[in-house]
Amino acid sequence: MAKKNVSVWTSIPFWRRSAAWVTGFAVMLLIWLSFDTLGQISMGTDEDLKAGTTKRVPAPTVINYNIDYKMDKKRGSEVPVIGAKEPFFGKEWSVEEAADLLHLGKLTSQAKNCMNCHTLLGNGAYFAPDLTKSWLDPMWSATGPMQAMTGKPTKEEAMAEFLINPSQYPTHARMMPNLGITAEEAVGLVAFLKHMSSIDTNGFPRNFSKTVDQFKVGGTNAR
Amino acid sequence: MFFEPFTDVVPSFFGWLNQGPLTLTIFLHTVIILPMFWIYKQEKANLEKEA
Repeated sequence: MAKKNVSVWTSIPFWRRSAAWVTGFAVMLLIWLSFDTLGQISMGTDEDLKAGTTKRVPAPTVINYNIDYKMDKKRGSEVPVIGAKEPFFGKEWSVEEAADLLHLGKLTSQAKNCMNCHTLLGNGAYFAPDLTKSWLDPMWSATGPMQAMTGKPTKEEAMAEFLINPSQYPTHARMMPNLGITAEEAVGLVAFLKHMSSIDTNGFPRNFSKTVDQFKVGGTNAR
Repeated sequence: MFFEPFTDVVPSFFGWLNQGPLTLTIFLHTVIILPMFWIYKQEKANLEKEA
């Protein structure tokens, strides 16, 4: 028996089955990806920090450690390197204290709507500098202009002082307004920023070091 | 390199898959498009039987 000419492309069952297959596969893929991501974004523990286990998101007690930002040739981006212990606001914070402080900082960042101008972990605006790695910004280091401007002996105290009285310190062409941040909230915010800088973001924001260099020669992060 | 050594912090299948430039594309085309040839052939056989 000779085969008749048939058109599969005009067959409704063919398209129905194809659509069901592609949709079903995509659903399964997305469910898998959702659970696959959980392992990546789960916060590490204090034990991980003590044991030197690298986690994408370290425990809140990471604020008790020195955080460096080093180029990883293999990964092709800069990665946070958690180093030796260093006092944060003159003391070592316990697991509970650090978690509470970070929580206060997070709530303050939401209450003061930092994202309205700044970017945090890719969320927010670019009216003001990206805060994702702000703790690692050489501007705030012991030899940086921001710390010198506030006249404080440590990076965390300088950042807190700036957050309490932002409109007193000339920074960019766009100066930060006074948001009524209290001294306690400022400590929380600095802890929040320090912890955020310790998160491995696959090198985001891109060219972080380059923008710092541009700033040194008179450029600005906020255009 | 088409396949590159795994460099991510947390090991995962999709992390490994995304290391190379084309591996995710090839993987998805393989698993999505290939079964569609099979669906096409089945439907064609059905239509020929009915005709």
